[in-house]
Amino acid sequence: MAAGERRRVAVLGAGLIGVDLASKIARSSKLELALVAGRSRDSLGLRRAAEMGHPTTADGVRAVVESGPFDVVFDATNADSHAENWAALRPTGTTLIDLTPTGLGTVTVPGVTVHRSAAHRHLNLISCGGQASIPILHAIAQRCTPTYIEVVSTAASASAGPATRLNLDQYIATTSAAIRTFTGTRDVKVMVNISPARPAPPFRVAMTVLADDVRPAPVRTSIAAAADTVRAYAPGFKVTSLAVDPGRIAAAVEVTASSRHLPSHAGSIDIINAAAVLLAEQSATASR
Amino acid sequence: MKGSTPVNRTPNDPRPQVLIHDPTLRDGHHAVGHQLDADQLRTYATAANAARVPIVEVGHGNGLGASSLQIGRALLDDATMLTTVREALTSSKMGVFLAPGWGTSGDLAAAVHHGADVVRIAAHCTEADVTERHLATVRNLGAEPQGVLLMSHMTSPDRLAEQCALMVKYGAQAVGIMDSAGHYLPADVIERIHAIASAVDVPVIFHGHNNLGLAVANSLAAVEAGASVIDATARGFGAGAGNTQLEALVTVLERHGFDTGIGLREILAAGDVAADHLMKAPPSIDSIAVAGGLAGVFSGFKRPVLEAARTEGVDAIDLFLALGERQVVAGQEDLIGDVARQLKAATR
Repeated sequence: MAAGERRRVAVLGAGLIGVDLASKIARSSKLELALVAGRSRDSLGLRRAAEMGHPTTADGVRAVVESGPFDVVFDATNADSHAENWAALRPTGTTLIDLTPTGLGTVTVPGVTVHRSAAHRHLNLISCGGQASIPILHAIAQRCTPTYIEVVSTAASASAGPATRLNLDQYIATTSAAIRTFTGTRDVKVMVNISPARPAPPFRVAMTVLADDVRPAPVRTSIAAAADTVRAYAPGFKVTSLAVDPGRIAAAVEVTASSRHLPSHAGSIDIINAAAVLLAEQSATASR
Repeated sequence: MKGSTPVNRTPNDPRPQVLIHDPTLRDGHHAVGHQLDADQLRTYATAANAARVPIVEVGHGNGLGASSLQIGRALLDDATMLTTVREALTSSKMGVFLAPGWGTSGDLAAAVHHGADVVRIAAHCTEADVTERHLATVRNLGAEPQGVLLMSHMTSPDRLAEQCALMVKYGAQAVGIMDSAGHYLPADVIERIHAIASAVDVPVIFHGHNNLGLAVANSLAAVEAGASVIDATARGFGAGAGNTQLEALVTVLERHGFDTGIGLREILAAGDVAADHLMKAPPSIDSIAVAGGLAGVFSGFKRPVLEAARTEGVDAIDLFLALGERQVVAGQEDLIGDVARQLKAATR
């Protein structure tokens, strides 16, 4: 591929996640959005994508295969459809970035696994809670040996679409497994709240790490550095509380959305989509 | 329909039936930091069974899978709690509670394996669609699925009715609301139960808390408005001001002309067993409890709120009111410390 040429990409799924993804891709200088594929012509998401000027189809994965090959396809459908989507797209040679919580592809968090992930063609972004917590937990695990990690995500009701709501068990299983992988900690618990509060609260992820060998200064330094890395692609990411005590670290992060197409409480969507676009851009660079 | 009538209803009794669902060994856990031991579970379950309580619910205060640093770690794991209570119940059914996001389908399968008959799947008031998969799972496991809405005061009667109808569509065989913060007045309950009962064709559930001293009155109002499954705990054992008091409720319902199938002398004995074995002191309506009811904050927050208020040197009632303004829901215990620190900073 010539320098300056943009990678041709498609978004599969036109829910809350797919529509914001389309708007983020449209702002990327390295990606060209060639198709947004939904399953219903009447869906609000497809209409919004069309209004934004993107080519759309209601024929789902079939249309993505037929209009391909794409350099990158984003799967923003749901965990139940993902395996089928991968089976259909794999022979086309595309890189598939999976935003559903299946955990089938190589689990990936920008900044934590970017160097290894560029070599893979099937990436899984775990979950919004995974994207918000793993950079911090990974940083902590470089400085101590956790014996137990607990993560509690709270997302505003309006930011959790139907696929997310149906997939809470997979969300928990995939997020727990990824935290185990990235921190080397066996005992991990993940919980999720969906808050009906009005006005809607920002996306929040509270983390508690138990470890016998906590040294406060290096832990704080590592967390601050990890937060800076995330903020580079998700500007609304902020560590809102941090207590480092002997044996126990408690941290909370909040993410407010900084995208034009998202309300500020939808930080959960903002961070996973920002990570997806960044990885697509990096995969483009890596294969040149 | 499996299990939606009292198991021990009096034969040929012409009086209308009310099914009492007893979460003493689940919701009561909030009052003691989830620390009930096997002897305590066995002793109370035996007494409730002897009183012909139709359903005895057991578990961590926030249900299956909820034992955590965030909400509080239980002394016993779910399997131990369930097998202990199951062995003590010869006629009563065993109930469990699960909120998707706190527990998973794996926890449901284990609970039914350990003998759970009735499984409540819970969601916050406007979030019923998170229960779809879990209600289906319970049905497929062969237990009776029910759906309940937590923190129900946070939305309108119409919305509650619509959410309950959704849970019926997902397979719930009884649906209803929890007054998790003890916020309702009888008129609030009547309006909501009316709306729900008009929208569904399955039994309607009401679960009260006593923050404003109205749990029994609200439960009676619920029955008059069309609810036929009422939750109540022995001595009102539960977080803060506690729940609807079981012994008082059964007596009130019987006096009012309803049949609960529960033996009066035996339920009074079960109340005494609870008082002697489960709690240091019976729940009382202290100032914190009233503030929580007024602010609409989950009763289970009392212990962590007192702790955070002490740590940060702020007033616990101010903290409850501030949490109410943030519309914090059960499960968001991680916010309590943050809000306490913000209060402290604001008063400097």
